[in-house]
Amino acid sequence: MSARTTYLLLFLPALAMLALALYPFVQGVLTAFSDRKLYYDSSEFIGFRNFIDLFADDEFRDSIFRTLAFTAGVIFVQIPLGLGIALLLLGQSWFRPILRSTLVLPLLIPPVVAGLMWKTMMQPQSGILNWLLSNVGIPPQTWLSHVDTALISVILIDTWVFTPFAALILLAGLQSIPPELDEAARVDGAGALLKFRAIQLPWIVPFIVLVALFRVTDSLKSFELFYATTRGGPLNATRTLHIMAYEEAFRWSSVGKAMAAVFVLWLMSYFISMFLMSKWQRRSGVHNENG
Amino acid sequence: MKFDHLQILKSGSWVSAFAGAALLGASAAAVSQDFDWKQQNGSSVNALLVSHQFVEALRPLVPEFEEMTGITVNLDVLAEQAANEKLLADLSSRAGTVDVFMTSPLNNWQYATANWLEPLDEFIDNPALTSPDYDVGDFFQGVLNSNRWTRVPMQGIGEGPLWALPINSESYLLAYRPSVFQELGLEVPETYDELLAIADKLDTGSAEFGLITRFDKFWDLPYLTFGTMLQSYGVEMIDADGNLQICSDASVQATDDFVTLIKTASPEGAGAFTWYEALQGFASGQYALSLNEADLFAPVYQDPEQSEVSDDVGYAPTPLGPDGTRKAGAWIWSMSINAASKNKDAAWLFLSWVTSKDTMIAMNLNGNMNPVRASAWESPDVVAMVNSWGETPGQYSDVTATMAEVAAVRFPPHPELTRMLDRWAQAVQEVYFNGTDARTALCEAQDDIGKMFN
Repeated sequence: MSARTTYLLLFLPALAMLALALYPFVQGVLTAFSDRKLYYDSSEFIGFRNFIDLFADDEFRDSIFRTLAFTAGVIFVQIPLGLGIALLLLGQSWFRPILRSTLVLPLLIPPVVAGLMWKTMMQPQSGILNWLLSNVGIPPQTWLSHVDTALISVILIDTWVFTPFAALILLAGLQSIPPELDEAARVDGAGALLKFRAIQLPWIVPFIVLVALFRVTDSLKSFELFYATTRGGPLNATRTLHIMAYEEAFRWSSVGKAMAAVFVLWLMSYFISMFLMSKWQRRSGVHNENG
Repeated sequence: MKFDHLQILKSGSWVSAFAGAALLGASAAAVSQDFDWKQQNGSSVNALLVSHQFVEALRPLVPEFEEMTGITVNLDVLAEQAANEKLLADLSSRAGTVDVFMTSPLNNWQYATANWLEPLDEFIDNPALTSPDYDVGDFFQGVLNSNRWTRVPMQGIGEGPLWALPINSESYLLAYRPSVFQELGLEVPETYDELLAIADKLDTGSAEFGLITRFDKFWDLPYLTFGTMLQSYGVEMIDADGNLQICSDASVQATDDFVTLIKTASPEGAGAFTWYEALQGFASGQYALSLNEADLFAPVYQDPEQSEVSDDVGYAPTPLGPDGTRKAGAWIWSMSINAASKNKDAAWLFLSWVTSKDTMIAMNLNGNMNPVRASAWESPDVVAMVNSWGETPGQYSDVTATMAEVAAVRFPPHPELTRMLDRWAQAVQEVYFNGTDARTALCEAQDDIGKMFN
């Protein structure tokens, strides 16, 4: 086969894939600049009107804030927790393989199912969580059903589902530390804390950035858990950008406005992930030089 | 903004049936053997349905239809929200995958605007497609005609093409635990004032909590359940002069009283209760009273397999408002045919069979309440079943008859109505959760809703 044929054979599928990815994206962006409603056949180009309306709306700005708060909560809880679990799983012991395989179980459960499961457990009157708390003398919590606790509760559920992901990546990072570094630390008589601070933590920084990259982009777009647990409520306590866009499109048929909200979400996701990517590349670059 | 007020469910249409008069049930003109049920033999129909007692009642009967017609029926049953999304995707793409689907007048105001619905009059009037014993006059005409609309926003309900056929009808009532009221020495409240006066006592007996009702941030709150309270306080979304009444004095009063009731007599978490939690909550026996919830939950309350209160449940009309008025919301589950369907005749055969007298009665007996045909209310089996419900024989029938006199859709037909009512519900939730002054929250909602008409 000539080189030209090979290129042609590669070029056509690549072009098709690019077109398939770009077409819906471009279509979506165009819709964001229109007044398209599902129930009207015609729609008009209205420039930035959808964006102007959205940013003039307090509720939209609040939903951006909620989306960022959720993402920050997820990162600040799941990375330290995942790191803790990874440290516990490091090393050789008969129970560790068992722990490692049970650790991934939450990841195998679809988020919608996990959401429904936790919604049942968090039910204030009949849920098992409040029953457990009552046994140790802690008053019942409102969990998902109150504006003050709903977002935190969704972060907790997300933590249950996705912390194993953080733990697995960080465990892989810890296991990639060259044994001679460990050995040197032991010979020098370094304690666990010093070893963690001087060797393990610096080594796994690129892994932490990698986990952050995945979890940040996933959390910004998070939908299933919210949909299964609160659908944005109570009131608007868990109405993130994605839930808001969903309501615009599927409750109110206002596709133009929904696409505008999604476009803002895409921009946030794009810039934050680009920033993290640059950090990750820089850090893993350091690793490669050292390694 | 002018709204021609039209009460959809003319009281006569429901009440005469309860009185047992066969006024509406014109006798069948001919026997069905003459009709060719096999005309679409070999075709198939895709039905998109919402998870509901109606579906459970329908499912066992479908093989009968398939055998009679040779049509294969594929039932796609989803939770309400998921079904709506799937339907919206199918209708708006005009893919025509779904042939027939569950809907309601409220949803159809949007679907009909978009030309997504097939008008049904021509099918009904065509003797080649409709069995002679179908008898459309047997439907309660108020209920049937709620599915007619001229497609002119803000007017013309009950007129114009028929977009759907009703499959059941729902209004609202009080369900209570006689044993708890007796234990506490309390009377079932007849007015909201009486209810407010006893609200803090309802959980002092063997019921763990006082009252339950749905209270989420969606349109069903002002449209149906809390809507029943609002209307009894004299609040309609738009008054006879075409003015929005969302932050009127009466609306503020009703909202304050509603929030007080929830705060006094409902548990933490009540601000997120959907109809499902309301149904399960009362059936679980934890509550003394279910406030203004759907009357068609009764088959679940009465069923010992699904309910802890099957031998301890009574029904009463919804309370009277401050000036002695009682009005109530109405919900009519219906079925429509997709205008983009490629099997419209087969879909119509299925729809006309589902809504035929015999199928309807069989489904009514199997939990699909409340009947929308006069013949069902004349069926001795249906009457015997319904008469057994309640604290005393006939209590449920009497209460639903009372409610039928005052149940109506008192909202303007408009494709944006669900968005407007969602906004209204949000204001009520702001009062409950944030302690926002009711007038402030409702007037802000009214301003927002006013803009949605444009």
